[in-house]
This record gives sequence, C-alpha cells and structure tokens, in this order.
Amino acid sequence: MEILEEKINGVEVLNLTGRLDAFSAKDFKEKVGSLAKEKRVNLVIDMGAIDFIDSSGLGSLVASLRSVNKLGGDIKIASLQDTVRSIFEITRLHRIFEIFDDSFTAAKSF
Amino acid sequence: MRPKVIKIVIDSKLEEVPSVGRKVREICLSMRLPSFEAFQIELCVVEAVTNSIKHAYRLEAGHQVEITLSIVSDKFVFDICDTGIPMDSKLLEEKGPALSVDADNLESISEKGRGLAIIKKIMDNVVYTSKQGKNCFSMRKKLDLKSVVDTGNLKFEIR
Repeated sequence: MEILEEKINGVEVLNLTGRLDAFSAKDFKEKVGSLAKEKRVNLVIDMGAIDFIDSSGLGSLVASLRSVNKLGGDIKIASLQDTVRSIFEITRLHRIFEIFDDSFTAAKSF
Repeated sequence: MRPKVIKIVIDSKLEEVPSVGRKVREICLSMRLPSFEAFQIELCVVEAVTNSIKHAYRLEAGHQVEITLSIVSDKFVFDICDTGIPMDSKLLEEKGPALSVDADNLESISEKGRGLAIIKKIMDNVVYTSKQGKNCFSMRKKLDLKSVVDTGNLKFEIR
C-alpha cells in the first residue's frame, strides 16, 4: 500500500493506494501516529484507490480514529469504492466514520 | 459435474496473503461471478489465511498454509489448512457483538475480532476441524449457476 500526503483547506489528506490489510495496517497506524505526534489530528483518508480491505485494515482505521479522538481530532473517509464500502456496512463501521464522496467535501466538513 | 480442484500453498508470512487473495478474485471473475461477490469471497479467504498465520503460527514464517478451492456442483468449497496451534472451535459458535457498534461509545468498539464474524456473515457454511495435527477451516458458498462458466479450459498458476 502507498500513502501520499496532501493538504486541502489546511486539513491533512492521506491518499491510500492498494490494499489495506493485515500486512499494511501497521504502516497505516504508524503514519497516523507520526502525524498525531505533530498534533496533526484532523485527517481525511481518501480510499478511492484502495481496492481491498480486510478486518485488520478496518481495525487500523478504528485504532487511528480512537487515537486522534483522544487528542481532539477526527478522521473522515472519502471516495470509497462500492466493494470496500460494503464491508464498512457489513461491520457497521459506516456508523462511526463520516463517509464522503470525495476528499474536498470531506476536508471542508471540518 | 466432476469437481475441479485448485490448490495453492504459501509460506506463513503475511506478505504472501495478497497474492492468494488476488488469485482467488481472478478465479471468481474468470467464472463470471459479479465483482462484488468476487471481492467478498476474496475477503473470506484472506481472513481465514491471515488467521492461520497470525494465530496458528503466531506470525512465525517457515510453515505452510494450504488453500484448496473445490468447485463442487453449484458450490465453492474453500479449505484453509495449517499445522499450527488449533483454534478454539467455540469461537465459531459465538454470537458475540463483533459486528455491533455503539456509535456513541468509541472506546467500546474493538480494533480486533471481526474476521470470523465477516466470514460467517458472507459464507453459507463454515466448519473447523483439527485432527492429527492438521487444522482445516472449511467454507462453502453457493454459486449462482446462471452466471458461472465451466472452468474446464481455464488454467491457473499454482505454486
């Protein structure tokens, strides 16, 4: 999985590409952890180029949300592919993450 | 209809799992299953293989995980087998809160424990056996035969 950073309206956007799974989940958590250390805790995760996610990938999103929440931040999800969105719905995690069609709308919502 | 069997063997490393997932999705799509269903089947296989590596082998490389796909009549049957520490089969019977979420209490939402629940939700039947040092996690999924083509002429690279 690749992680590319950008800023939209002052909000950190992480553009993910590939698979968010048991192998890559640690990299993702570490990335969010390093941003949190710098007090960059309002994040948009753009998953438009994620074509696979498993329970470990979902777990890494939950752990990251909890860690930034403790610091007064939030994580918003953008650009989910339909297949990936279906797993958010099966696991009910669409109820704890705000999900947007694109990262610009997600960044504006902060 | 003669059963068709495809076997994949990998080393017990998490970095090996994506190749299994992609192969399973490729097989599903080549049988003209809808991409949505192919994704869900890939997910279940990935969850089961990951469980073997994480829990049966405790992330120790150098062991084998065998993935066997049998296409029997109108069903996919996946057997994911290892020779590691057996799973507590009671975990399969649990109807715990793995997929329930209290949106008002983020701390109550677990980071882990969704894999088996996802498999049980998607697959039609799941059975776990442990005999003579070999553990097998078997999953069945009924196929929509109208959309499935005969795999007789298809070739898959098998390690």
